[in-house]
Amino acid sequence: MLLIALYQQTNFMLRSIASFLIFFPLIVFSQNNAIGTDEKLTFSASYNMSGLLTEIAQVTMETSEVKTSSSTLLRLKCSAATYSSFDSYFKIRDLYESYVSPTTLTPYLYKRDINEGNYNKFEQYKYNHKSQNVESIMRKKKRSGNIEEKKNVKISKNTKDIVSTIYHIRNLDLQKTKPGDTQSFTFLFDNEEKTIRVKLIGKETLTTNIGKKECYKLAISLNNSTILKGSNDNLLWLTVDANKVPVYAKFKIAVGSGELKIKSATGLKN
Amino acid sequence: MRNVFVVLGFIASILAVILAVTPLFKIAYIPSIAALVFGLIAFYFAKQKQLPRKSIQLIFLLTIIALSLSTYKSVFTIAEVGNTEELIQKENESELDALEELEDIEIDQ
Repeated sequence: MLLIALYQQTNFMLRSIASFLIFFPLIVFSQNNAIGTDEKLTFSASYNMSGLLTEIAQVTMETSEVKTSSSTLLRLKCSAATYSSFDSYFKIRDLYESYVSPTTLTPYLYKRDINEGNYNKFEQYKYNHKSQNVESIMRKKKRSGNIEEKKNVKISKNTKDIVSTIYHIRNLDLQKTKPGDTQSFTFLFDNEEKTIRVKLIGKETLTTNIGKKECYKLAISLNNSTILKGSNDNLLWLTVDANKVPVYAKFKIAVGSGELKIKSATGLKN
Repeated sequence: MRNVFVVLGFIASILAVILAVTPLFKIAYIPSIAALVFGLIAFYFAKQKQLPRKSIQLIFLLTIIALSLSTYKSVFTIAEVGNTEELIQKENESELDALEELEDIEIDQ
């Protein structure tokens, strides 16, 4: 019984962390001057219990250029994979992608293919910004068979997807932002528009795997959601330079807290 | 009173051993310390009333096993990603699929 309870609790914890992994926040637009076309950021995600950190998964954020017959787009790819020690207990292989304009980071196609333990889900959004409409496809694997759901979702003018929203924050002009300033942004997730609030707290210097960096400290909260707990408990640190690299993140979820630490950063634009 | 702490000590030490063999081995330190405390209290009561101490010795033994295993794993375990071939294949297939999908989408540039 104890083993089963422990296994179930671990599964729930990992699922919650997995949901969060790609789930930290962001802000908005203007010309892209922070994101390169061949960038790769690698993070280590840890679960924190009473100060004892357990490394659970590796998260990577990569960019690359893709060419269609009529245009060139930027592919933003985020993936999460559990470390080998966890694979036999709860294997995570998640892939999130967004195909965006390389200049404005406006998304045109979003794909989410998650594989967490026995849970599999695929989602695809095709954005039509003129008609403010998204063609959504969702597939789920269930014991009773596969389920496919197609839907047209109406969106607001600036609604993006979670991945492009993450990259948008790095493109913000935070130099003009004062501590305490808050901005809200909307993105589509599970066919629902969600609003994320980002508040600049101030500047801090952190020692990271890529050196000692002066960082912007941002607090993130999600409206009407049970994923992220508290209003000032989810924090993100971005370097105070033209690349605004996310070097560290702390998050609080239903089953505890965790953190993301940068391991390496290559192909930066500036 | 001794029996209460013996039961608590057993629960904590067994939990510590279970955690020590899982990837969450670092968390095993918490029940290990609790088991040691419960064991010591039970030992104190047993000594006062001249009661048997065999079960308390078992608690300490289990705790030592859990602590040794957790410490060994903390020192020698390296966090590395396992087999990601499937994920890489999925990424490549997804990109090819996306290129087809993007042909149908109106892109303003």
